[in-house]
Amino acid sequence: MAEDAEMGDGAAMLFHRKQSIYRSLDERYEIHGERYRGQQYSQIYFMRLHHMRNLLRSLVPKWKPNMPVNTVLGLEEGKECILVGTLYKHMKLKPSILDEYSKERSALPLAKPHNFIHHDDHLILEDESGRVKLSGSVLAPAAFVTGVVVALHGKETSDGDFCVQDVLEAGLPPQIELPIGPGEDKYVVFVSGLSVGSSEFNPLQFQLLVDHITGHLGDENEQSIASEIVRLLIAGNSVQISQGLVNGQNIAPKDHSKITEPLKELDIMLTQLVAAMPVDIMPGSNDPANFSLPQQPLHRCLFSGASAYNTFVSSTNPHQFELDNVQFLGTSGQNIDDLNKYSDAKDKLEFMERTLRWRHLAPTAPNTLGCYPYTDKDPFLLESCPHVYFVGNQDKYETRLLEGPEKQLVRLICIPKFSETGVAVMLNLRNLECHALTFSTNLEC
Amino acid sequence: MASKDIKGFYRQTKKKGGGGQAKAKDKAAPSNSKKKEWGGKHTGGASVGAPDPAQTPALIAHGSLDLVDDYGEEEERLRQFDMDMRYGPCIGLGRLQRWERAAAMGLNPPPDVARILQRPSAALECLWDGRV
Repeated sequence: MAEDAEMGDGAAMLFHRKQSIYRSLDERYEIHGERYRGQQYSQIYFMRLHHMRNLLRSLVPKWKPNMPVNTVLGLEEGKECILVGTLYKHMKLKPSILDEYSKERSALPLAKPHNFIHHDDHLILEDESGRVKLSGSVLAPAAFVTGVVVALHGKETSDGDFCVQDVLEAGLPPQIELPIGPGEDKYVVFVSGLSVGSSEFNPLQFQLLVDHITGHLGDENEQSIASEIVRLLIAGNSVQISQGLVNGQNIAPKDHSKITEPLKELDIMLTQLVAAMPVDIMPGSNDPANFSLPQQPLHRCLFSGASAYNTFVSSTNPHQFELDNVQFLGTSGQNIDDLNKYSDAKDKLEFMERTLRWRHLAPTAPNTLGCYPYTDKDPFLLESCPHVYFVGNQDKYETRLLEGPEKQLVRLICIPKFSETGVAVMLNLRNLECHALTFSTNLEC
Repeated sequence: MASKDIKGFYRQTKKKGGGGQAKAKDKAAPSNSKKKEWGGKHTGGASVGAPDPAQTPALIAHGSLDLVDDYGEEEERLRQFDMDMRYGPCIGLGRLQRWERAAAMGLNPPPDVARILQRPSAALECLWDGRV
């Protein structure tokens, strides 16, 4: 893939786009012909607890040597010990489906607060034998959510609570060392929330992005930078089809075009992009994919133009891949948005850091986040630490380089919604440095 | 909760060896008026805490069966395997699949259950299949 550049004297310079070796690691998120047989979510919680329990038990001797590990039913009052189990957060404001049935049908609109935290929330620990209420000021309920597996050091009080003195989280998983070398600069561009078909969508803004990345804009400096972009990743919510149409009823023929138009428009733009470079597209919460995580890849028939190219990759959500041996992992935002509803942190990057320390991509699944009821594994458990961890469809661009206790280095990226901000993110594979690409069609500067 | 009350509550006085008696996995004597120890030593590693917390006395039939159903000892043994919480919940998985999963997780499921499952007479679905 080459772009031409016109220099002042009329001679053309040919830029060749750089390439990277790509390997998709999405098999763990793909669902192939599994049958649901009534297990609900008991199996996935069992697998999660089993896996994390082994891990935490191996970390306990270093954390608190000579302290016995007990089960909840084995607790004795006043005796200090360690418990390992899954946290459950009891939240007063959490919407429950049963409330809709207990109230009279008075069409009360359920007020939807953005965040369901209440100062009365308390945590309960559940392990393989039972549950116990947790007390003590060490464990702040606002920082935790249901579904996290931790080890707790403390003792049972006379009211039957477990008073927590210390908490052990699994911590960042081990990381394969980053292949840092004096190589050349290669960039990956992240964008999310294109929302083609929505009222915020600005086609000119998107076209500017496409032209800039494919090298059809700018002078030779810009084009040489564009030639160093090896991949584009679209992290969800590429289309927005008005909600009124997809409420389960038959769609009138006149409305058919309202559904197909956004997809066709997206396909046209994608075709321009895949003709120039490899593109990964992930499904998001608004896209025509399944609702529960892990979302399966968008079907090729939705992109009749773009899917003809072998540079077009439709991936799952969450998406895990490796590019020149740099490990990438990310989602279209549902996991972090759900954490935002049920817990508190100073910014979205802190939520991301917590998921890494808990070694679980989406701890609130399946409690408040839709999830497939697996029987044999919990695919969101993190076995190894990625080098780049991204989350799409956030409100603003934020990034941080996280350092772990065992020299892990993770670039955390919050990708903002492009239709609202016009910002895409560019990451340098060589040194994990990140910067924003802002596109604006406003004529007033 | 105070362990003393539990020991008293679960005192087993009317255990006579008999059909419905669960063969406790790690205790040899079939007739025992032994009180189950809660909070005793735990086996480390992958297996669940206290020895046999899954085989709570409430799940084991006391005395002989009131009703002799049309299943035999083999099925009884398989049902005890279904109910054993060490290997996770039994709903949603076939018995052999659950046994293999337990083996893959390093939980050392009892080999006699695997042997029974190879026989053609063994029901491959768990106790609750189709009933819940």
